Amino acid sequence: MIIVKDLTYSYPEADYPTLEGINLDIREGEFVLLIGPTGSGKSTFLYCLNGLIPHVFAGDIRGDIRINGISPQEITVAEISRIVGTVFQSPETQIFMLKVEDDVAFGCENLSLPKEEVIKRRDMALKEMGLLHVRNAETFNLSGGMKQRLAISSIYAMGPNIFLFDEPTTDLDSKGRGELLGIIRKLKEKGNTILLVEHQYEDFLPVTDRVIILENGKIINETKSFHSIRTVSRERRCFKGYSSEIDIQDLTFGYRKEKPILKDINLNIRRGELIAVCGENGSGKTTLLKIMAGLLKPDKGRFALLGFNNPAIEELIGRVGFLFQNPDEQLFANSVEEEIMFGPLQLKKKVDKEKYLKLANFNTVQKKHPQTLSRGQRQLLAILSILAMEPQVIILDEPTTGLDYNNLCSLFKILNTLVNENKTVIFSTHHMGVKEFADRAILLEDGRIVSDEIYK
Amino acid sequence: MRYISRATFFHHLDSRTKILMSLACACLIVILNTSFSLFGLFMILLAAFFSVKPPLSYIKITTYLMGMAIVATVISQGFFYYFEPRTPILTILPKDAGLIGKLTGGISICREGLVYGVVQSMRLFSATLLSMIIVMSTHPSDLILGLKRFGVPEKIGFMLTVSIRFLPVLAEEAKRILVAQRLRGLRIKGLRGSIRGFRFLIEPLIIDSLRKARRIALAAEVRGYTGKRTEIKKLHFFWMDWVVLSIVFFVIIVAVKNRFFYE
Repeated sequence: MIIVKDLTYSYPEADYPTLEGINLDIREGEFVLLIGPTGSGKSTFLYCLNGLIPHVFAGDIRGDIRINGISPQEITVAEISRIVGTVFQSPETQIFMLKVEDDVAFGCENLSLPKEEVIKRRDMALKEMGLLHVRNAETFNLSGGMKQRLAISSIYAMGPNIFLFDEPTTDLDSKGRGELLGIIRKLKEKGNTILLVEHQYEDFLPVTDRVIILENGKIINETKSFHSIRTVSRERRCFKGYSSEIDIQDLTFGYRKEKPILKDINLNIRRGELIAVCGENGSGKTTLLKIMAGLLKPDKGRFALLGFNNPAIEELIGRVGFLFQNPDEQLFANSVEEEIMFGPLQLKKKVDKEKYLKLANFNTVQKKHPQTLSRGQRQLLAILSILAMEPQVIILDEPTTGLDYNNLCSLFKILNTLVNENKTVIFSTHHMGVKEFADRAILLEDGRIVSDEIYK
Repeated sequence: MRYISRATFFHHLDSRTKILMSLACACLIVILNTSFSLFGLFMILLAAFFSVKPPLSYIKITTYLMGMAIVATVISQGFFYYFEPRTPILTILPKDAGLIGKLTGGISICREGLVYGVVQSMRLFSATLLSMIIVMSTHPSDLILGLKRFGVPEKIGFMLTVSIRFLPVLAEEAKRILVAQRLRGLRIKGLRGSIRGFRFLIEPLIIDSLRKARRIALAAEVRGYTGKRTEIKKLHFFWMDWVVLSIVFFVIIVAVKNRFFYE
């Protein structure tokens, strides 16, 4: 099916190869999980298979790749797309059309198939992927999970028998991940060959035939079964103080009056706690965090933070730090050090820049433009830029999204440092494994707190 | 302002009819030159606007915009109308009042100017209403398909579709960037502050858009997009479209005849 021999590839003007001496043989119908840290060459390897290398990215490619006996270097990307389908990380940037059914037909139309054939394949894909009920919906109104499903459907309709997934669940919540797992399982049952790149791969292990670990562009391990789930050890603490930091009583909130997002929330958070707010998309996690940061006003009930009752956002700036999901919407400055000092400068606060640079080992990159860092580093920088304002309460919305293992460890090292300084940290996550790092986990379901566990 | 899914007369028309109709109306706006005929056109378009059943918020915005426009146009034309004859109805500065009077030739509001202002604002309103009717009653993908049928190249059509598709995404992003700035203590005060704030908004927005554009290009590439493709979407040209086009054609002929070949 896929035979790779001595594949070595370097990007144009790169000093060292991104992939080095890859040898691989993937059989028909096999499910292969490809893992490794950020920058290990996982995505680059997929680009070699779907023809983006060398047709879009030039560079130096050596060795031989055969897909069904054909070399992707010899045919165009459009021709390869008939046999190899690729699903990327962000569902947002894989949808082109305004209507769901138009987008499902998009790929088939590009193959210049006859009209009747396009319509037949479109309707088949809509039906098999469970999109019939939204076929006339506007694509931008769909949830993240549905968008990813739509992207897969459009590729499925093109009829490839090899599917490449490049971190498809990073932007999805646990419900979306569950749905995606179902779809991938279905694709496998139909006899398709699947190659999946993923950081949070635990859910996929039951369907995996083989795990391949890449590091620095080389395959370092190839195993038939792989069951070790990595954990970051949590520092156990006992509470130092009992003073109440955030107090919420009978809180109700809705963007529209008739449809409340949060119902009867009662919550008391003490100084120095590290709290995970868990739940699926739409459960109200982000809304609850936004209320805590003063970004939204509750409709009913009492909300007190650091002694302010129903505070306005201006009262909380500098006292509460809030991090949005996408780091790129929060980086404005021209260099890493300027980014960290941006907030303190506005607030005319004197802070120790070095301390924050050191927290994430940014000393070597402090003069670089923030946007030249990797996604994981940008995420950490966005967090540091909030911390540098030295808030007492730190609220982070999905801070673990898209982080690989190393960056995840850095993040929790930083959060632990904060808690040890007696600051209160609250973060939301849809990754159930991550909540273990916290001292306390609050589970939201449909706008209500359904469980509140304190780990001892 | 965007497409609203309804079942009205205008929603049923073919997008090509609507494109031709809007071209014809644009011509009419220029050709017609009496206050009576322009008012007539405005009233017809106003009726058409309401026939699309706009939500209350759209009506409010339209009324507000029109109010602002008519006040601004009428006043400025009242002052600056310079064709003869001019009948001053209110003199603010007489011709012989010192240096400024001599320089300006006197400042007064004249009746002809006011009338001309009303005529001009009728033109402005008609153009506004026209675009609103088209936007509210035509799904963007139908509009683009219509343009393609008139010879707009496939790749331009695709670019238009993708830009419309990403407008709401960009708007959301801009909103979040502004909040993030506030949270980092950026206070936007005065002109200098606004310019500074603008730079902090526009830079991340552009960088993120470029990053998105790159991802979109890769995704389109692996989806086999080359610019040559089958088009399964169809437009439907009904008898209604013929009727509407005939009426529009007839009106244009009459207007042109009256304007240029009368006397």
